[in-house]
Amino acid sequence: MASNILRKLSCSLKNVGLSGSRVYQGLSVAPSVLSRCLSSEASAGAESRPTVRQHDAVAREQISDFGRYVAECLPKYVQKVQMTGTDELEVLIAPEGVVPVLTFLKDHHNAQFASLADIGGVDVPTRMYRFEVVYNLLSLRYNTRIRVKTYTDELTPIDSVNEVYKAANWYEREIWDMFGVFFADHPDLRRILTDYGFEGHPFRKDFPLSGYVEVRYDDAKKRVVVEPLELAQEFRRFELNSPWEQFPNFRDTSVIEDATTPAAEKK
Amino acid sequence: MATVKAASVVTRQVRPILSLTQEDSRRRVLALYKAWYRQIPHIVSEIDIPKNQKQCQEKLREEFLKHKDVKDIRVIDMLIIKGQMELKETVTKWKQVGHVMAYWKDTVNKKPTDFLGKFLDGKD
Repeated sequence: MASNILRKLSCSLKNVGLSGSRVYQGLSVAPSVLSRCLSSEASAGAESRPTVRQHDAVAREQISDFGRYVAECLPKYVQKVQMTGTDELEVLIAPEGVVPVLTFLKDHHNAQFASLADIGGVDVPTRMYRFEVVYNLLSLRYNTRIRVKTYTDELTPIDSVNEVYKAANWYEREIWDMFGVFFADHPDLRRILTDYGFEGHPFRKDFPLSGYVEVRYDDAKKRVVVEPLELAQEFRRFELNSPWEQFPNFRDTSVIEDATTPAAEKK
Repeated sequence: MATVKAASVVTRQVRPILSLTQEDSRRRVLALYKAWYRQIPHIVSEIDIPKNQKQCQEKLREEFLKHKDVKDIRVIDMLIIKGQMELKETVTKWKQVGHVMAYWKDTVNKKPTDFLGKFLDGKD
């Protein structure tokens, strides 16, 4: 009984939320990431094997709709919108758009990604902009997650989102410490995980596994001393794909799907 | 065509970190050097290291001259930022004696350069 009322209430809330924003030409209404009141009924079907993840077609449609809406709202910054194989929305943006895009996602009524779950980094040395910075957002209101990715190199600063999400403070310090990506306008950018006096950034791919120095207690000096370490290490090649081919049938298929064209047009 | 392309690669527009001109970065480097220099008496008196002011000043000069050939403004800016962080770590005494003494590397044995030394060392 109570759940029925809640469900009706949230559906009507959704309608109220949508009615004010019939502006964008491509989509008649601004799609919300809210989907739960419909999707549980609609998606009984397709996948019956218990070990394979169930696709929620309605939820996927709604979240990729939302991705397209974001791309239309922020054409200056959004470069690509894609869906991963596990129905997660990824928005790939230009580095100068970090603050506006995250502000949009946080404050827009139909998104409300008010929680910054994590900031991650990826290092791909072969790229022109070798670092990816990944923002994982959570919308508690709509029970949805989104991933915002941008890129940079060793010397290009990225704007700090500390003013948007206070949680970003330590996450950005971590990225600075591990990858050496500089965040402009960060209030307190300093090391967070490495030791004082530590040189280099350990998560970079060109950082050796053993590090450059070793630390030991010197009995004669009565203090901890830092000494250079020389260990032969094989040249490492980084292949981001798994070395074990798990699914030869899917060798050439990517699970990542471009979300900019609606599913209806694709068929 | 090729030259146009090459020129566009060479003159890539980049976002500055701190400094916009060479002069600007030079001023920042000198400011950082002075900041370190003025803190040395406090560092020597506050932290129990077996070094005097003179030795610290020499080490400071050596650390700065290590990067004297760096010309890229953004690389200089990055070094300034890291130097500034090091300074803060030192004067707030987040660094302990071992961390500060790590600048001198006084337990590190010099690598032998002559033939016999290398032979006796057993490497190379």
